[in-house]
Amino acid sequence: MKNLLILPIALSLAACAPKTLYQWGGYEDMLYRGYKEPEKMDVMRTNLEMHIQKLQQSGQKVPPGMNSELATLYLQTGDKAKARSYYSAEKDAWPESRVLMEALITNLDRTTKGNQQ
Amino acid sequence: MKWLFAVLAVFLTGCVATVPKKDLSAFQAAAPRSILVIPSVNKTLDVDAPNYLLSTLTVPLAEKGYYVFPVHTTKTVLEQEGFYEGEQIHAQPPESLAKMFGADSVLYVTIQRWDAKYAFLTTVVTVEFDYRIVNKDGTELWATKQRMQYQPDNSNNSGPPLAQLLAAAINAAVTRAAPNYMPLARQANAQVFLLGPSAIPNGPYKPVQ
Repeated sequence: MKNLLILPIALSLAACAPKTLYQWGGYEDMLYRGYKEPEKMDVMRTNLEMHIQKLQQSGQKVPPGMNSELATLYLQTGDKAKARSYYSAEKDAWPESRVLMEALITNLDRTTKGNQQ
Repeated sequence: MKWLFAVLAVFLTGCVATVPKKDLSAFQAAAPRSILVIPSVNKTLDVDAPNYLLSTLTVPLAEKGYYVFPVHTTKTVLEQEGFYEGEQIHAQPPESLAKMFGADSVLYVTIQRWDAKYAFLTTVVTVEFDYRIVNKDGTELWATKQRMQYQPDNSNNSGPPLAQLLAAAINAAVTRAAPNYMPLARQANAQVFLLGPSAIPNGPYKPVQ
């Protein structure tokens, strides 16, 4: 009797339980804090990078857009090499991002060349 | 045996929406793989609302199986192009925005309400958004609106009536001084994209169940 009752409950709970596709590592909250207090964008950059490394080490997919957001945060501190490498990572992971990532990388390469001349 | 069906019925209705679903045939025919989320139009007095809202839109759409363009990167690129305000961006043809970013569709959100109003011994916090998803060819695929409200619970106060009134007034003042819009914004997004009768179809990265 008891088991009969538990089974349907367990089944229905499993059906309803939210399964997430990705591990976001607090992305939403970090971005909110960064918009609230711009100096917190540094915290976001550091934490996002650690989160991405953790995902890669455990063989999990980095969520859509996350590599690109980290690249942009690096670009905003002037680190073009890091920005370029994370934009490339986004492009390789998500074919839908190709047009935008290629434009960003081309633009970066052009401005880097301009500075060297 | 009847009780078993009753138990099952109760739990099943917990998962199933009972309201008639929206017509999603245009959305299903277009079958976008990616969604460009652009800064919203702000019809409220709170100048921070568009940025705060922007931080809440990625996760529900990506978890629904879409490639969601990085919102902070998108905003930065648009600013470099001279587009700082949602109004300016929303005024661009959707086809040009989609082409510029290589996106299959564009999400437009207008913030209609983002406020905390005092109403006899309580403060009511309200958010209200209009949402539209437009295909890269300019066709509207989906549109809906959502309002969410919150007010602090004063019901569990005890003590003499005057003390209760004061406690309620303090509660209301605290809520008004630092209203927390973020849970409301997240609930609104979850309701329109995932839970309610307007929920969008699954994207290409959502595993088939």
